[in-house]
Amino acid sequence: MPNSKVLTPLLDRRQFFSWVRTGLGGATVLSLLGRDGLVRADTTLSEADDAPPHHAPRATRAIHIYLCGGLSHVDSFDYKPELVKYHGKPLEGDEKPDVFFGKVGLLHKNIWEFKQRGESGLWVSELFPNLACVADELTVIRSMFAETSNHTPATFQANTGFRLNGFPVMGSWLSYGLGSECDNLPSFVVLPDPRGVPAGGSINWSQGFLPARHQGVSLKTQGPAINNLFPARPITARTEVASRDLLAEINRRHLEERDGSDELAARIKSYELAARMQLSVPEVSDLASETAATHQLYGIDDAATADAGRQCLLARRLLERGVRFVQIFSGGAFSSPRINWDGHEDVQANHTQEAGRIDKPVAGLLRDLRQRGMLDDTLVIFSTEFGRTPFTQSDAGTLGKGRDHNQYGFSVWLAGAGLRHGLAYGATDEFGLKAVEDRMDWYDFHATILHLLGIHHERLTFYHNGIRRRLTNVHGRVVRELLT
Amino acid sequence: MTPWAINPIDRFVRAKLEANGLSPSPPADRRTLIRRVTFDLIGMPPMPADTDSFVSDPRPDDAAYAALVDRLLESPHYGERWARHWLDVIRFGESQGFERDKLRPNSWPFRDWVIEALNRDMPYDEFVRLQIAGDVMRPDDPAAVIATGFLVAGAYDEVGQTQQSAAMKAVVRQDELEDLVGVTSQTFLGLTAHCARCHDHKFDPITQVDYYRFVAALDGVRHGERESSSGVARAESQTTAANQHSSREPVDARGSERLAELKRQLIALDEPVRERVLAARKAEARPRPAPPQPIARWDFDDNLADSIGSLHGTAHGAARLEDGRLVLDGRDSFVATAPLANDLKEKTLEVWGSLASLDQRGGAAISVETLDGNTFDAIVFGEREAGQWMAGSNGFVRTQSFSGPREPVADKLMHVAIVYYADGTITGYRDGKLYGTAYRSAGLQSFSAAKAHVVFGLRHLPVGGNKLLAGAIDRAQLYDRALSADEIAASAGVLGDSVSEDAIIAELSPELRSRRNKLVLELSRLETAERLRAGRVCYAVLPKQPEPTRVLDRGDTRRPKEVVAAGGIAACEANAASLKSDFGLPPDAPEAERRVKLAEWITDPRNPLTARVIANRLWHYHFGVGIVDTPNDFGWNGGRPSHAELLDWLAAELMEPVESRELKVDGEKQHNSASGDSGLQPSTLNPQPFRFRLKHLHRLIVTSATYRQSSRSSTAAAKLDAGNRLLWRKSPQRLDAETLRDTILAVAGELNPTMGGPGFQDFRTHTNNSQFYDPIDPIGYSFARRSIYRTWVRSGTNPLLDVFDCPDPSTTTPRRALTTTPLQALALLNDSFLLRMADRFAERLGGEEATDVGKQIDRAHELAFARHATPEELAAAQRFVAENSLAAYCRVLLNSNEFLYVD
Repeated sequence: MPNSKVLTPLLDRRQFFSWVRTGLGGATVLSLLGRDGLVRADTTLSEADDAPPHHAPRATRAIHIYLCGGLSHVDSFDYKPELVKYHGKPLEGDEKPDVFFGKVGLLHKNIWEFKQRGESGLWVSELFPNLACVADELTVIRSMFAETSNHTPATFQANTGFRLNGFPVMGSWLSYGLGSECDNLPSFVVLPDPRGVPAGGSINWSQGFLPARHQGVSLKTQGPAINNLFPARPITARTEVASRDLLAEINRRHLEERDGSDELAARIKSYELAARMQLSVPEVSDLASETAATHQLYGIDDAATADAGRQCLLARRLLERGVRFVQIFSGGAFSSPRINWDGHEDVQANHTQEAGRIDKPVAGLLRDLRQRGMLDDTLVIFSTEFGRTPFTQSDAGTLGKGRDHNQYGFSVWLAGAGLRHGLAYGATDEFGLKAVEDRMDWYDFHATILHLLGIHHERLTFYHNGIRRRLTNVHGRVVRELLT
Repeated sequence: MTPWAINPIDRFVRAKLEANGLSPSPPADRRTLIRRVTFDLIGMPPMPADTDSFVSDPRPDDAAYAALVDRLLESPHYGERWARHWLDVIRFGESQGFERDKLRPNSWPFRDWVIEALNRDMPYDEFVRLQIAGDVMRPDDPAAVIATGFLVAGAYDEVGQTQQSAAMKAVVRQDELEDLVGVTSQTFLGLTAHCARCHDHKFDPITQVDYYRFVAALDGVRHGERESSSGVARAESQTTAANQHSSREPVDARGSERLAELKRQLIALDEPVRERVLAARKAEARPRPAPPQPIARWDFDDNLADSIGSLHGTAHGAARLEDGRLVLDGRDSFVATAPLANDLKEKTLEVWGSLASLDQRGGAAISVETLDGNTFDAIVFGEREAGQWMAGSNGFVRTQSFSGPREPVADKLMHVAIVYYADGTITGYRDGKLYGTAYRSAGLQSFSAAKAHVVFGLRHLPVGGNKLLAGAIDRAQLYDRALSADEIAASAGVLGDSVSEDAIIAELSPELRSRRNKLVLELSRLETAERLRAGRVCYAVLPKQPEPTRVLDRGDTRRPKEVVAAGGIAACEANAASLKSDFGLPPDAPEAERRVKLAEWITDPRNPLTARVIANRLWHYHFGVGIVDTPNDFGWNGGRPSHAELLDWLAAELMEPVESRELKVDGEKQHNSASGDSGLQPSTLNPQPFRFRLKHLHRLIVTSATYRQSSRSSTAAAKLDAGNRLLWRKSPQRLDAETLRDTILAVAGELNPTMGGPGFQDFRTHTNNSQFYDPIDPIGYSFARRSIYRTWVRSGTNPLLDVFDCPDPSTTTPRRALTTTPLQALALLNDSFLLRMADRFAERLGGEEATDVGKQIDRAHELAFARHATPEELAAAQRFVAENSLAAYCRVLLNSNEFLYVD
């Protein structure tokens, strides 16, 4: 697929029939569209009153990789030599850290070896050997701070700016604020981990109080991509075509009698869009059309990395076709056995399992976006709800294997347009417990992301119950130090 | 009064229109009107008989319409419709939300209380008081305790509330209080008091101290389950029982008499049908299409041969025949057959057999698999859920839990069957009866001739692991189609005397079905009232005396400042000098007193907001836009009223009714005749029967000329007022999500009118630390209830309702978004529920109008659009039906704009 954002005529018949596997045949859809095989995507506009761009955007689209459960920063992106020195010793000081499970064991050194990488010399551990090779693309923030160390409220805050249920997530805000480059695909797509959805399921891609069209649409990377794309039971092509024709006729008459109401006309158009979606969703989901080299780059050829590989590749394909925001989940809910990054019992075992799934695919994604020139106007976000403690989650005076939640300091990274690459911003204390230098809150993080996308975070608002709500509540600072 | 004006509402509207150079539209015709007001008041479409009788009512328009409105306001469906609006506002959910999202299995009584309170037209001030402090104002009244479900309708962060860190727990609690204060002040007062948690309200005169006084009033609110009847139970066990009962016993007696009578009638109606079904089964038992014809059958008597086709088996491992059974050791023994002779799509797998042990986890009795074992459909025991059967499949892609009962004993012969339908539906049966619940899987798996075979005792190749079954198989059969429930029962040879409700309903004539529905409706309503009266476990407030409340500097729990006592919002005093926001309570006052004072303060007639806020909500739902278009926010940031004087008048009329009515004696009778309603009646006799009665306002609004205007647009008027804020016409409205689903059920003739009781669950749920909810499309009478009776879990929303803007139950929704998206079109075209309903709709038409296609089509139009088909429509439809099918035509109607929009 060439590097073009707008999908132009592509209905090669052979290709086409391979997309539509069951139910409605491709020919049916074609005749529904009633045109010469042209699948053209239109843009949809911003719904915000004060519509962006508020300034020239550096990025026009984003992929957000979200690690559920809490990535250990001291084992990945925040190198703390002092931890090696004090390995097995108690944390000094009067104040007992307030941690989720209340157990403060002995300090534990980084489990994976750290090295300086690339030209930038950015520290990245061996937990992510492939990402380490693209370190020069990353802008690491090592001084993040969360307001809670409780997973779900922390996840809500990382994605909505608020600790409570019921607020719109970042993807919904962007869909609302920026509209979409294509109307034949949802503007905000979510790709859950095939092992399971995060705790709270669809709450994690809720539009909150924004109009429902801004809800994230969850796409599966295998099997039918979205619900109800084709009839739940077979309907012959002839009947399908006749039904849609009749429906159009009935609706046209109804509209005429009502002097062409916009709302009714929009509903008629939505059936045409639906038909386009029946073409575009199978097409975008057809990863087999990519080359073997691409499959290899994303790790799809290897069972260990295939899940995340498919997520990452599908994300790129969605962006190419004009989708605004794709959120990839790494990890599901809190269950037993663990299927996310919540390494309470044994960080080494847990993070080996989790990083092994995503390291190569995410690195492959960055390489691919770079070689296609897409990284120039695409933002990649890699975040988690909080970090993990430098001491083990074990009785005082003992050295365990797991680490508890750490809200006071942790690392995330960004890559792509408008960023200073190879940068490490901010710092935690000598052990990685608390952010002490250039502390960055989620509000600042969100303000900066919106800025890169051409949005002034105080100007993207939606009136709800007394307040013009923002992603950044009443806070937020664009951290210009991260930007070129 | 000009002829156009019917009541004072019209004078206010007319004045504004004229001042802006606009004039009202002519009245809508009777057909339009009945469809509009029926959807509006009861959330369902008018049935053709209702439409006919209204259209042909010889009385003048006003009288005929007034009678219609009275009938609708008395319909128990009114409460169902308007309770849904209320539940939106108070963000009612039936699970905890946050990480665990645990189900609240006893939160539904609150939903029933709201429906019943609205149906009885409980005075609004009482309705409010009971939700805030029912448990302390009327402790011996179970319904009043249930009413406090309002206080705990929101999410609850179980993990946050039970974590180790006290400091973090305090933050979680403050977040919870902000949510509660916010919802309480928005719901009743239209004030966004929660905005003052960290600082004085930026726009409205609400100080941070006001906020914390409000917090103090609600600081004792905690979530929990309680026995709503405990007060009553205690009282009754003592000698004072007579006193307690004196006022309501007669009502109860009448109610229980009626209840018994209805039950008798229902039995009388069902019994002959039941006997007919049983007789038919007996008659059918032998020759009839008799047990259905399989394509393969293995008796395992003295060989492994297929006695019908060519799928002869071969034994592997230690598999052996013994006493006419195939015995499997669970280690390496299984039987594999020759490859399929024909392709297999829809299918039914059936075995008679027994289990050697109940703790085995994953063996299959029978499996159809590709020769390499990579793809299979199998009857599997205990793999995901110990002791239960499931439809096993490769990678679980077609597997969901049936949630069937666990097997009680080993070594007992049983019959198990699984049916795979073309649309992906998978249904399990045990001993000829439905096993748990059917579900719709991702899709039907086909197996190709020569490339697949059948195995017994093994889930799929290769052999090993937990895939082998320990037990015996007496007989097995394979079918190349999906058997019906009756066929399964016939095959299982268990045609006992139990006849399901579904089976009875399927046998009823349209007339009897409609009669039965009426009985079920009245019966279930009385049972609901009885449950509310008697009380039961419910999710409600479980108060706890708090520490004195402190103002928190910038909302920070680590920076407590001065202690404050419970109180209201001081700014409300401005317009009513004598209503004090100071409750006169010390900071350590019992929490019960605080809530009582808050309830009294909110409902005091001198409170300037309460009546206006509810009057505006009613207006909002009737017209699609409120007089204040932000129903939760009457503050500075909210919308300016389009007709301020009208809103004042409506509020005054609600509190002190003066407008004459042509007597709603019927309505009043209804209040008194309903049974056992102490919990739903005001505590003192109301001297003014219409005071705070919402139905009085509804009646005024919907009988106004303003409401009865045509919805047709006018270019000239649209130029001046495109948004129709001045009401020069009635704006058309799209059906909301629940109304859409309910209407589809009603039109298809499938609606189960049962009121109240536990909700139906259109999801599968399992718990693994957190509770998970996977949406499904369950089939059957018990799921065909109105949408308000679904179990509203927070992370298990219904995808069909979702796309039509059903709100997230975690957030208060004073007005729903209305969007138009391609996903809606895909859902209505393709969703299994919709396609099934289109089929039922067509069957219904076939049943009602025999074989006359023209009549069937006309009837379809009456049901879906409340009008007859035009000759052109009829002609086009007949052509379409001839070339396609009536069901396909029904699908088109259910997708049409006319179906979704109300003029």
